[in-house]
Amino acid sequence: MTTHADDSVVLEARGLEVSYAGNTALKLDSLAIRKGEIVGVIGANGAGKSTLANALAGWSRGNPKAVGEVYLNGSPMHTRPTHQRVRDGLLLVPEGKLIFNQMTVHENLITSFELEASADRKVYTREDIYRLFPRLEERKDHFGSQLSGGERQMLGIGRALMLAPRLLVLDEPSIGLAPQMVALVLKTLQTLARDGLAILLVEQNVHAAIEIVDRLVLLERGRCVLEGCTAEVKNDPRIAEAYLGAHVA
Amino acid sequence: MNFVQQIVNGIVLGHAFALIAIGWTVLLGVARLVNFGHGQMYMLGAFVTWWAISSAGMPYFLAVPVAMVAGALVGLIMQRVMLKATFEQNLVSIMIVTLGWGYVLHGVAALIFGSTGQILDTPLSMVDVPLEALWLTWQDVAIVVAAIVFFGILQYVLNKTKTGRLVRMVAEDPKLAQLAGINVRHIYYGVFAFEGAAVAFAAGMVAPRTPILTSMGFEEVIMTFVVVVLGGIGSVKGSYIAGVGLGLFIALFGAYVSPAYATTAAFLLLIMVLVARPGGLSANSGVSIH
Repeated sequence: MTTHADDSVVLEARGLEVSYAGNTALKLDSLAIRKGEIVGVIGANGAGKSTLANALAGWSRGNPKAVGEVYLNGSPMHTRPTHQRVRDGLLLVPEGKLIFNQMTVHENLITSFELEASADRKVYTREDIYRLFPRLEERKDHFGSQLSGGERQMLGIGRALMLAPRLLVLDEPSIGLAPQMVALVLKTLQTLARDGLAILLVEQNVHAAIEIVDRLVLLERGRCVLEGCTAEVKNDPRIAEAYLGAHVA
Repeated sequence: MNFVQQIVNGIVLGHAFALIAIGWTVLLGVARLVNFGHGQMYMLGAFVTWWAISSAGMPYFLAVPVAMVAGALVGLIMQRVMLKATFEQNLVSIMIVTLGWGYVLHGVAALIFGSTGQILDTPLSMVDVPLEALWLTWQDVAIVVAAIVFFGILQYVLNKTKTGRLVRMVAEDPKLAQLAGINVRHIYYGVFAFEGAAVAFAAGMVAPRTPILTSMGFEEVIMTFVVVVLGGIGSVKGSYIAGVGLGLFIALFGAYVSPAYATTAAFLLLIMVLVARPGGLSANSGVSIH
């Protein structure tokens, strides 16, 4: 998977190491994501999935210490603050609070900076977002705090899309959602990937994720223990037994 | 002491309170910061205005903008010093630093401007509004108008403009604002510059009502604090209502009960509010500007 010369590689991370108060939460040698590819990151609670997602954006609600290199389209991101990475197209939809509660849906969908026109970045307008998630248009004058979990997730994704991502990192988008909503959100991601977006999907719902991801990364105690194409690794006992249940294996 | 005159006094005083509080309200709403140097920044604004008129020979209408620029610079320097504490939301450090900053400003101002009282005369403060029974200067009228216009513009900018939306995003969730591509540091600097400019503007408007002293800062910070807390942390509309309400309360209490105990009464009011809303001043109670 080392695709150094491959210009379709959107994200490349090397030697990521993140620790909280001296305890290593993540140690990942390398990770690459290509244009139009969905990479799923799975693992148990505390395996370092969110830590990985956050480290790529250089972001955290906690106070971790992170080292390592992150490249987006070949340019270094690890030297840039979060808001610059966002402007360069590295977008994170975090877990938990992912929208502005005291602003309306409409207000949440704004661009905070001037986007540079570029062939490899699709700029989604508010209308595009409403087309993608008609539910949001119905609720456009509602405050963020009035939305359901699924609507929040849609809005979080919509907010990120309006900032023209090259890479979209989603941290547990299915958490707390009804099954139809999970299906809708994941299906939308598939559509976005088909349009050329690179996506890193952190998921606990392995059953659902496995339907849409091209590759899987299995984390355990902060380390990558298995990585490969979905078709190949989904029958690996470590995934089949631990995450998909015996009936699939 | 006729009642109408007291109401008029209260309205003028109230708008003065509200005008002085506006910068702190925004600061508290957006950056969740208290600024116990606010009163000394007010004092500085008044003295820069006075200096610009009396020593530099500028007209009043130019002296006020000069004071605002000076205020904004002071705000920027102050924020530069406290930026780390701001990001960490280290409220205790910020309180102490701003308190200390106030004393530094006081000391510097005393060195530069001396510690004798001065009168800040303006073209408006020396002319009475020709009303038979009422005692009112055009400066008083200007204070009321300026406060209303300022609050109106602020409400509009916060709620209807893109800048306002970005500011509200930082106010609600600075971490999430980073993920929206916002340079939170810029917003914090901007808010502090606004605080400095706004309080200097207020000083240029309000200070002509009374003699100015380099030691008057603490008195101002205390009343502003009451307004900001009464109004609800970070609420622009609330601080306007609280300012006007407090002005009327103090004018009427002073006239009909005792002027000596007006400040005491204002604090009793504040204590009652804080008892009813104990979480009012906490840093992370989901405060936000609106």
